[in-house]
Amino acid sequence: MSEKTHPLRKYMRPQVKKTTFCPGCGAGIITQALLRAIDELGLTMDDFVFVSGIGCSAWIPSPLLNADTLHTTHGRPIAYASGVKMGLPDKHVVVVSGDGDLSAIGGNHLIHAARRNIDMTVILVNNGIYGMTGGQTAPTTPYGLTTITSPYGNAEQEFDISALVVAAGGSYVARWTTYHPRQMTKSIKKAIQKKGFAMIEAITQCPMQFGRVSKQGSAVNMLKNYKQNGIRIEKAAKMDPSELQGKIVEGVFVDCDKPELISSVAALQRRTGGKE
Amino acid sequence: MQKVILFPQSCKGMEDCGICAFVCPRSLFVASEEMNESGYLPPLPPDEEKCTACGNCMIYCPDFAIAVEGGAVDGSEE
Repeated sequence: MSEKTHPLRKYMRPQVKKTTFCPGCGAGIITQALLRAIDELGLTMDDFVFVSGIGCSAWIPSPLLNADTLHTTHGRPIAYASGVKMGLPDKHVVVVSGDGDLSAIGGNHLIHAARRNIDMTVILVNNGIYGMTGGQTAPTTPYGLTTITSPYGNAEQEFDISALVVAAGGSYVARWTTYHPRQMTKSIKKAIQKKGFAMIEAITQCPMQFGRVSKQGSAVNMLKNYKQNGIRIEKAAKMDPSELQGKIVEGVFVDCDKPELISSVAALQRRTGGKE
Repeated sequence: MQKVILFPQSCKGMEDCGICAFVCPRSLFVASEEMNESGYLPPLPPDEEKCTACGNCMIYCPDFAIAVEGGAVDGSEE
């Protein structure tokens, strides 16, 4: 009998023996949620093009997944992915990158891709800090948190990325923490099938940087925090905003169908007699 | 029949990570005393009698180091 392997190993590059993440990092849980979604949908890696930017979570597609991947410049994966989708409209284009990459330096690409409603899936891995560079304040860092660039506490308010993408016009927006990987898998499946701009905001633990500065410490403590403070959007809608302080609102923020860019452009080309 | 299959070389240690022990509803994971190639302490195989094969450890393991019965497949990557 040949040696047993992990069921999702078949989607990973054979030369990869270990993930590239720190011990306890949630990016591995998100990788598994993504691969399980692909597995359950019955798709193969040939159906996908993965695009990532710069950061810890951008290392999910590039060394791990046995598919066509683009590891692009900082903040620009959505711009590259838009081009890939225009050129290869039959492929599922999936962007996997971090909060610093997609919402800080690449914020404009994110909101304009959502506004255009181009058919792609964005998995925004939000750890609330710049983890790779050593724990600086990011736009998603909670108010008051002491980091190495805010030694007296963060004076800025944090970014609500899901609300931003809903307002910008995304077709499918959901937020889950790494304590809810089953729900995350379900949302990723919906997002891949969605014709339009779909974003999953995956809140993840960064025990090395965020855990250290927030005094939460280990990955297990951070998961406990998600367990205690995670709250479904349906329940949160009935609550007063003051009660939601420190809570993580999770669930599907929007799930709707509206005209998608690639099909709109194709229709335009047919109407004007241009080459398809 | 073995329910939980461990891949200790992929593990990043129960001291630093320990997510398997946290998510197991029956707390069946205990650290081994043997280091793996990277110097981490992976978990020992859990008690098969008590395991219900709920699959939590497989879904939460960030390092693809645990597979649960029905999930693990024979053969290499190709």
